[in-house]
Amino acid sequence: MTNKNSAQVLEHEIHDLESRLRDAKSRLALTSTTPKDGAKPSPIPHDPISTPLDPTHALLLLSDTALPLGSFAYSSGLESYLAHNKPLPPGITPTTSFHRFLNLSIASMASTSIPYVLAAHRDPSSLESLDNDLDASTPCIVAQRASIAQGRALIGVWERAFRTTYAADPLSAGPSASSSAVAAAAAASVERFSDALKSGFDRADQLGPKGHFAPLWGVVCVAMGVDVRQTAYVFMLNHAKAVLSAAVRASVMGPYQAQRVLASKELQDMIAGRIEREWETAVEDAGQVVPPLDLWVGRHELLYSRIFNS
Amino acid sequence: MPIKSPFEGCVAKPGQGNVVLTLLPPSNPTLTTLTYKYPLKLLARTPGYVPQSSALSCPTSRPVHLYLLTYGGGLLPGDHIAVTITLEPQTRLVVTTPQGSTKIYKTEPNASIKGHRGPSPAHALSDKSRQNVDVRIGREAALCYLPDPSVPYKDSRYEQTQIFTIDGTIQKDTHRSSLCVLDWVTQGRASRGENWDFHLWRGKNEIWSADETGAKKLLLLRDSLILDSELDEGCLENADETLHRTNLIRERTRPHGVVGTLILYGPIFEHLASFIMDRYTSLPRIGARNWSSSAPAVEETTSHYDAKVTFTASRVRAGFVLLKFGAPDFETAKNWLSDMFREEGTVTNEFGEEALFCL
Repeated sequence: MTNKNSAQVLEHEIHDLESRLRDAKSRLALTSTTPKDGAKPSPIPHDPISTPLDPTHALLLLSDTALPLGSFAYSSGLESYLAHNKPLPPGITPTTSFHRFLNLSIASMASTSIPYVLAAHRDPSSLESLDNDLDASTPCIVAQRASIAQGRALIGVWERAFRTTYAADPLSAGPSASSSAVAAAAAASVERFSDALKSGFDRADQLGPKGHFAPLWGVVCVAMGVDVRQTAYVFMLNHAKAVLSAAVRASVMGPYQAQRVLASKELQDMIAGRIEREWETAVEDAGQVVPPLDLWVGRHELLYSRIFNS
Repeated sequence: MPIKSPFEGCVAKPGQGNVVLTLLPPSNPTLTTLTYKYPLKLLARTPGYVPQSSALSCPTSRPVHLYLLTYGGGLLPGDHIAVTITLEPQTRLVVTTPQGSTKIYKTEPNASIKGHRGPSPAHALSDKSRQNVDVRIGREAALCYLPDPSVPYKDSRYEQTQIFTIDGTIQKDTHRSSLCVLDWVTQGRASRGENWDFHLWRGKNEIWSADETGAKKLLLLRDSLILDSELDEGCLENADETLHRTNLIRERTRPHGVVGTLILYGPIFEHLASFIMDRYTSLPRIGARNWSSSAPAVEETTSHYDAKVTFTASRVRAGFVLLKFGAPDFETAKNWLSDMFREEGTVTNEFGEEALFCL
């Protein structure tokens, strides 16, 4: 039932976005076809600053695998899982074994990280404390390294690429004045955190800001005007994509098979279901639901040969 | 009018206990407070063991032993145990569970309102057993908490929160508090065929740093494990036994029959921490091949138990070492841990042989 609800919400949102697109197109057509006493029709209707940026655009940017976060370098424990489950017991194919891993990995990612993504989206100003708490809650350094590397890369992308569009004019990031103010506050929060990160390296106890991926993802999405449900969904989808991409490169399955899994209804339902389950979870109650995954990820360091960083 | 019990003021609610360990001059560890109420029972003892040598430079005090007991050796649905322990500076406390594993008995959603069908969902969820342990560890004090594992019986629901607060104002490394905490959970009564058949086991270990007034708190470490069969309330209300099985926990813990975490911190356990890190980093590489000969793989060089126990050790932030392990059964895990502690020797040196009572 909950899945149905979220699907309805998404459908409603798509409908809304489509109607706004139609509206904008008709206005564009109207302005460009109006003849102005022999003068050429103006190619761009009005100055871009007054038009709010379309959140769908930001969503597409953030869900792109070409987003330079380096996510392709991490298999989230898949490589180690394969090595620990070799040889496979009779009757288990590599594909069924992989599907088990994907299920476990998505459940684990949702239970450990989604509360942080949601909390950061709901209150961007708490970024620094969320970062500390997530760092304290990540039990192995392999997972920590992966999360920190991607989080810092996201700060890099924000500062070098997205900021010029989404923070230059704070009024543009949201469809209404209040959401624009929220986006501006989130952008300021990322800036503050980035400054703290750059000046925090000399702390003796190593307890300064780290730059974990999940809370930063939440805050950057606010700054780009992406709503909370989509933020969580894209976070999980990107994780699934990274695991599947790793599976292709680890020769578990071919690229078409991987796309079929990505497109499948089961994966969609699983992601939506996991998000629904963690929707109300406080960050204090986030935790590992798949204990062997911590072992597999941690023992990635022990692999004789590795092609991934986690 | 009944006579008011003189002990009533000490402990407010059933299941609560309070312990304060103070070092009285010249070097006499004393429990200045020891209160508890049914179903919790706390016993304390000071064995004659005096540490001969120590990692600490300060004069070492005798370790005091505290036994955590519950009536019946386990927790019934609705039981709520809350223990607050304070270790004043330079004291040492060993906490063990002499009754063996902490048994978590079955939760029956309808148990307390027999004959009354359809209890409210809120009731179905409140039937958990809970255990909260809150420990404050002062300067140069040390806690050694090596209990038996938690054994959740079929259909049980259990939640435990263990919070350890260390003094965050200490600058000097050797003056830090020390702690060694083991937390492990098994699949249930393996002899009766139980294999992760409980409904919920949720365990959380948090380590906070705070100054003396308790303000300026910072979370240093949180280790949180959620084993949830993810039954919704509707399923619990339904008396149909077949609906109670999802096998979700079994699927998520496979191939292990026991999983656990050991947390080490502070100068006393520094040697043990390095020992474990060395042990982990010197494990043979997985999938290593001997290219010089036609042999398919490097021969097994690990000790007997290391081959059976899957573990990972990590030096995480703020000087903590976190050991996570999974083993096929309780005996294997116990022997592995026991061997490791005895071979290294820190715990027996600093706290005496009895600290390893549960292992």
